[in-house]
Amino acid sequence: MTITIALPSKGRMKDDASAIFERAGMKIVAVGNDRSYRGRVEGWEDVEIAFLSASEISRELGNGSIDFGVTGEDLVREGLANADARVEFCARLGFGHADVVVAVPEIWYDVDTMADLGDVAADFRARHGRRLAIATKYWRLTQNHFSGSHGIQLYRIVESLGATEGAPASGSADIIVDITSTGSTLTANHLKILADGVILRSEACLVRARKPAHDTDPTVGRILSAVRDAL
Amino acid sequence: MALINLPAFSQELLADFESLGTLRVDTPVIQPAEPFLAMAGEDLRRRIFMTESETGESLCLRPEFTIPVCLRHIETATGTPKRYAYLGEVFRQRREGGNEFYQAGIEDLGDTDIAASDARAVGSAMRVVANRLPGRRLSVTLGDQSVFEAVVGACGLPGGWQKRLIHAFGDQKHLQKLLAELADPKAAGVFGPEVERLAINGMLDDEALLVAHIGQTMEATGYSTNASRSPQDIARRLKEKMELANTRLDPETLDLVREFLALDMPLADAPAALFRFAEKTGLALDGALSGFDARVAALAAIGADVSAIRYRAAFGRPLDYYTGLVFEVEVEGTQAVLAGGGRFDRLLTLLGAQEHIPAVGFSLWLDRIETAIAVSRGAA
Repeated sequence: MTITIALPSKGRMKDDASAIFERAGMKIVAVGNDRSYRGRVEGWEDVEIAFLSASEISRELGNGSIDFGVTGEDLVREGLANADARVEFCARLGFGHADVVVAVPEIWYDVDTMADLGDVAADFRARHGRRLAIATKYWRLTQNHFSGSHGIQLYRIVESLGATEGAPASGSADIIVDITSTGSTLTANHLKILADGVILRSEACLVRARKPAHDTDPTVGRILSAVRDAL
Repeated sequence: MALINLPAFSQELLADFESLGTLRVDTPVIQPAEPFLAMAGEDLRRRIFMTESETGESLCLRPEFTIPVCLRHIETATGTPKRYAYLGEVFRQRREGGNEFYQAGIEDLGDTDIAASDARAVGSAMRVVANRLPGRRLSVTLGDQSVFEAVVGACGLPGGWQKRLIHAFGDQKHLQKLLAELADPKAAGVFGPEVERLAINGMLDDEALLVAHIGQTMEATGYSTNASRSPQDIARRLKEKMELANTRLDPETLDLVREFLALDMPLADAPAALFRFAEKTGLALDGALSGFDARVAALAAIGADVSAIRYRAAFGRPLDYYTGLVFEVEVEGTQAVLAGGGRFDRLLTLLGAQEHIPAVGFSLWLDRIETAIAVSRGAA
């Protein structure tokens, strides 16, 4: 059986992922020209490489059309319901670090924990005639953290696909849930992370779609040990 | 399999509704999604079927009837009191059972006799379920948020803690966690370094100064002072939070709240038990208890089978528009909730009604009632 590994199609993620596979003795070469979205691994005839966008990789892992993928844990956990039942996080690759965090305006002197935020959310409608609005592209992670872990139900998600950190100052939302790696964009926008507001410490991972056929496929085990040994 | 036909007993059910003095209403299957999400919270988003209109308005398939019936009442402005009945399909993503199923129910809007309308809701729900399942004994669980609110209020906790506990009522896990935090001095509030600076500058003692400082900082950092929380909001809650952090629940009071939450008994015994509880603990619960007693009396007065009802003090729903009574009806010895209801006095103003409209109602899970009928026939 041919095993398909999906790698990010551009940028730092692509280079870092290729470097790890090369260290693992799996040198990736593009099929055709350099810009091609298909590749193969030198000396591994039963492996093929697909270059996809990071969020596509999470989706394709979910529906099992690829066997392995390198993508951010945040995208997998956001994109797939019951992620752990459908995929296996095989290795954390040490790059692409980003935390998914709950951040509120610095000036909210009275809010430093999720419990504080719960108090504010409970009162919000009575004071402002609307629910507390959270700007984010992480619907699922936000719901799990707010409702699942902290019993906060009363908020609205305002979808934000870019420049999320600017939403509180512009008034389009009250707080945000977003990724940050250094925190400098948050600081520049006068936002602070809550003490218990780190929802996920994400990084690039080698992720396997859980498929029964993998149990008896020697290539799957070879890929896993090659990558793990290279870390 | 999705239900495409009305349940076999629909005609009899509608006849029951008519004999109960209701006005049957229908509402569109396609509803604006906003009111459901605003009332029930974002969690609902995963459980409803949403789509968008061409102009970008969020729409959903009707996930329940209470909000559409209330919105219709507000729009048609036909005055109160009104006793509405409905029967129709609702659509939800469920783990068990189909995604489209029938619900029916009654909503009593605007009756100011709280005890009588509460009793009528419970009594009607029991009657229509009993009529579908002759010979089966029902078991009803009843809770009352207003009694819990009175207990928490009488304990002398600061306002912020009262709000936290009341907000968590009905969510056992969350409520127990909050009580544990209240008892444990380690779980003090977390304050950022800015607050320490403010304290050193003496600003925390002077509210006007603090409000001005917050306002100036917001303007300097490009935050509007009126789009979200205002400087006054932040200053006021900072004070409230310092009270929260400094409050410890003494072990006796904690035991007392836990003792209350553990109350579980036949409803007929509950008035006396609550009276004894108030007397023993010295808590002033008179207002809530007289409302409770009046409801029990009203249930007896309309001939409801009070012996089938249990009172469970911790039973509630963690949604902010539920205000008092909550109840569920099952067949004795089974787990399936066949009818559920409660009082939601805050809902209509939240939905935009100009005046306060007290409201109580219940809905029936018709697919579960059909299953219960089938089981009942199989056993007979």
